[in-house]
Amino acid sequence: MKEHTLTRRTFVKAAAAVGAAIAASGTSETLVKADKAFAEGDSGQEEIVSTVCRACIAQCSVLAHVRDGRVVKLEGDPRGPMSKGSMCAKGLAGIQALYNPMRNKYPMIRTGKRGTCEFRRASWDEATDYVADQLLDHINKYGPESIFASTGGGGNPHISGPIRFINTIGSPNNFEPGCAQCYLPRQTQARLVYGGGPDDNLSIADSNVLDFYDRESEVEAAVLWGAGPSWSAPSMTGRTVADLRNRKTNLQGLKTVVVDPRLTADASKADVWLPVRPGTDVALMMCWIKYIIDNNLYDEDFCKKWTNFPFLVDPDTKIDLDAGVIGGPANNFEYVVYDNNQKKAVVMPYPYPDDYDVALFGEYEVTFSDGTKKTCKTGFQVLKEACDEFSLEKAAEICWLDADKIEEAIKIYVNNVSTLIHGLATDQFPNSAQAALAALELECMMGHVEKPGAALQRFGVLSHSPGIIENDTFGMGCYQNLITRDMLNKRLVGGHNGFYNWQMAHIPTVQQAIRTGKPYKPRVWMERSGNKFAVIGNARSWYETLPELDLIVHAYMYPTSFTIEAADVVFPLREWLECPKPVKLMNWIFPRREVTHLFETADETLYWSRLIEKLAEKGYQRAIDSFKDEVANPGKSHTINGGNMQDGIAKGWRWAYDEDDLANLFCNDLVDPDTEQPMSWQQLLDKGPFEYAPYDEWHQYYVYLHDDGTGKPMGFGTPSKRVEPYSDITVKLGRTGYPFALCNEGLIELDPSLSVEYEPVPFYMEPHESPLYDTEYPLSLTSGRVPIYHHGTLRNSPWLREIMPTAEIWVNEQDADKYSIVNEGWVKVESRRGETYARAVVTENVSPGVVFLERFWNPELLDTDPYGSWNAENVNVLTKNDAPFNDVYGTYTLRGFQVKISPVDKCPYDVYVEPKQFSVWLPQYSDKTTEPTGEATWENWQEFPDDDLVCQIKAE
Amino acid sequence: MSHYAIVVNADLCTGCMSCEVSCKQENGVALGQYWNKVLRYTQGTFPDTKQFWLPTMCQQCEDAPCVNVCPTGASYRNEDNIVLVNTEKCIGCRYCMMACPYGVRSWNEEIKAVQKCTLCNHLTSVGEDPACVKNCASKCRYYGDLDDPNSDASKALAAADPETIHHMKDVGNHPVSAYILTSRIGSWEWD
Repeated sequence: MKEHTLTRRTFVKAAAAVGAAIAASGTSETLVKADKAFAEGDSGQEEIVSTVCRACIAQCSVLAHVRDGRVVKLEGDPRGPMSKGSMCAKGLAGIQALYNPMRNKYPMIRTGKRGTCEFRRASWDEATDYVADQLLDHINKYGPESIFASTGGGGNPHISGPIRFINTIGSPNNFEPGCAQCYLPRQTQARLVYGGGPDDNLSIADSNVLDFYDRESEVEAAVLWGAGPSWSAPSMTGRTVADLRNRKTNLQGLKTVVVDPRLTADASKADVWLPVRPGTDVALMMCWIKYIIDNNLYDEDFCKKWTNFPFLVDPDTKIDLDAGVIGGPANNFEYVVYDNNQKKAVVMPYPYPDDYDVALFGEYEVTFSDGTKKTCKTGFQVLKEACDEFSLEKAAEICWLDADKIEEAIKIYVNNVSTLIHGLATDQFPNSAQAALAALELECMMGHVEKPGAALQRFGVLSHSPGIIENDTFGMGCYQNLITRDMLNKRLVGGHNGFYNWQMAHIPTVQQAIRTGKPYKPRVWMERSGNKFAVIGNARSWYETLPELDLIVHAYMYPTSFTIEAADVVFPLREWLECPKPVKLMNWIFPRREVTHLFETADETLYWSRLIEKLAEKGYQRAIDSFKDEVANPGKSHTINGGNMQDGIAKGWRWAYDEDDLANLFCNDLVDPDTEQPMSWQQLLDKGPFEYAPYDEWHQYYVYLHDDGTGKPMGFGTPSKRVEPYSDITVKLGRTGYPFALCNEGLIELDPSLSVEYEPVPFYMEPHESPLYDTEYPLSLTSGRVPIYHHGTLRNSPWLREIMPTAEIWVNEQDADKYSIVNEGWVKVESRRGETYARAVVTENVSPGVVFLERFWNPELLDTDPYGSWNAENVNVLTKNDAPFNDVYGTYTLRGFQVKISPVDKCPYDVYVEPKQFSVWLPQYSDKTTEPTGEATWENWQEFPDDDLVCQIKAE
Repeated sequence: MSHYAIVVNADLCTGCMSCEVSCKQENGVALGQYWNKVLRYTQGTFPDTKQFWLPTMCQQCEDAPCVNVCPTGASYRNEDNIVLVNTEKCIGCRYCMMACPYGVRSWNEEIKAVQKCTLCNHLTSVGEDPACVKNCASKCRYYGDLDDPNSDASKALAAADPETIHHMKDVGNHPVSAYILTSRIGSWEWD
């Protein structure tokens, strides 16, 4: 590759070549495009460009109307295969997010104390230089593990960005307040049990359950377990579930069961609503398993042939018996079973032999090769015994439900072409792994795997590849070649090895390390997301931890409580209307366009690139290496079963130099199906949305029965090629990190001192703070989506804040009487961690003894009362981040803990309530403003800079 | 005679508020004002609670009180029989706001005139759907001429069980907009 001039890009490459001693001469040209900003004049011409929303984790297709470079209107794109022209309030608020007067407009460096709004403006070059010097200083003094990063799912995230950053730095620690509390348990457990790809699981909100987007799907019934598609992504998941419900008019289409403590929109449409007591779902799931076993309602044929339920289990190790232990072929997908025809324990070949009739239940004597004998149960037997105490009556008692209603719900599940959609709720309390496993066990027992209507599908595996890098997918795009064995062993997971799947750390363990210095002290926090205090469990404990940190860097689109209270350096990021990226939607590719671009904001991934680039300029070898294609893309990847289990560490990619370079990197192996030629980003923009594979080729059921090329069926991407609802692989994950301990040596075993024991079948944990014996804090709290906000975002959107100006606590009428709460009155809510405020909704939508409260914060207080901005109306000053944690995933407690409530005259903080107050955040266009003084005071934050600082609007 | 209106299938509506925000964006409706407001209703006692949403907007009354009381002709019917407001003729007396049985008219402080849902006349007149219909997340809103059996609105009503088709309370004004609500989802209290 020849370069003729010394641009910054060639500098990095040259530095890489010569060992990078010349760092000090690095150019200091601004990293900002200096194009003349705003389109001149007022032509009145309006263009409509196709793009893709990213106001939440769904990705709805959007048409943006652009007039003279300014986005003036958004609407749904009818071509979108998942949103079909719909667009929700969060997406529509994108225009107010983009032009919000409070955008972070340029990098800033703190001049005053943390907790004040005193910053000065800096150039990208100065700010990245400032941060890079301190990073190198810490790396040299304390090692790279003194640096940690964090991110969050709200606000145009590229989840892999900070993972790649810490991989490059050489630190093992990045965290996300979702993760163990959102999706990690369900996504990981599905990979372990089912062996699909990263996106093949039971979570509809994470763009799975794709058969539901086919109006011809045979599905007749769905169990929405802790899932609320109508409010998670109203125009995508909500739209399609509404469509299925009304396939026959007057809701005679899809039948639904909804398990949720709160009467959500979906619960209000359900045939059966089970308002489960917060935190007790696993007892109910185990009841369903028991009922289905006891009444022989499971799919016997599927269980025998395609699950590991019949495999005999070593009672000492809890591991399925490989054929090798009785003298059969080892590690050849053959296991020990009891065959009713042969009346003995025998080797079961792959695939299932027709002359076998394996026992699903029971215990049998097995003679091992060395002559020892053991009595071994089948996996199904172990599960059956684990669930034995959970009768309908017992579950009804634990879960505050009616036994007949539970039975009615199970019958809808077993008597229809149905599936179970597993939502976020159970990821938010310490029984998370067990809930994820039990839900998958139900689907496996019922044979709901790759059947028409089932949630578990591997659509696309047999069709053309989309070719693009989907770096939003968890675990993807990390630098496997830059991760060492030492980094894996040092990762602060606290014994919760499920984190290795996403290359993330356990938040309470990181916090403990900061406070105690053990096993080492993290000192620098690189944070990219909105308001950490609004979304992290027990936020005050983190506030108290801040003085321990030498440097805190925050990158986001707006200032939040975290910016004012914590950040020493602030970087301005782009909104979704400003970021280029190809997006896969089923069998389509849609370009998310850089519809416009304001100020000195950077795409998130490019922000991390710039920091790494600066470290490379300063000679940091790992940073230099990370720009090399051969390091980024090692050309090898870890697989189970010859690639069936898509391993999450797909083709790697180097850091990008600018937005166009990044967009081209994302295009990766994208091929134009018309010309069969590789496509650049520009060619994708020119072509617009297209189908990368024909729908029928993409939409294929029963992938596991497809010939693997040797005359045998492909099977599933698990070690046994069967689905593995008896989860001995979870046991192995605890003992060795298998199959997620991946580094530059490939798959390794973690240091034996880190070995922990997990269970292969579920168990029920009563909530640690429980209404059964808590007299001081008598009410159990649940949480969940409202349709107009995503995580901590958009509380500065006038259109949305006027709909829901304050946090709302839902209180049952009986409790309202008991505690003197009046509808719309202010309520003080207290837990053992803190107190906050919300306005009451007195309602029959929750049970007596249960309250609902969703996340909130108050941007209006940032300058006058920063502490109040995250304490006034924030459920996360109440939530619990100490033990017990989930064993596998380290989940702490965001739901199913105890609070008390009392009426107050008004909120003691000066929060906005009236619609007109929100007018301060109405869009301001950049052609109406004055030059910022450079003394970035709070007032100047709200000024829009002169035209020459605003980057060129690109209207395609 | 045509009868253009919006039909809402409340069985499907999830209260996502997309229509409220779509309307604000399309029509520049001020903070605190609504041409289209989604109301939530709950009925019954836990755990037998019913919950549904009613998006409310101009009901395109057959005998519209707002038109009848307007002293200047600002509230009028256009050539397609659609009830509209000519803000240039509005003198701000707000009689129409008092006369409207549904409270779906709002006062625009900036231009000192009464305004309300126009069925996005500027879009529908060029063949598009109203913004709230286009963006509706649960696809529960349908626009069209109820006298034309091929309009989306007519087809939605034709598909529904007649027992489940309702109108806002009629005090002699004969509201044209219609709602679909099945008794399992909620009891219609306004017939």
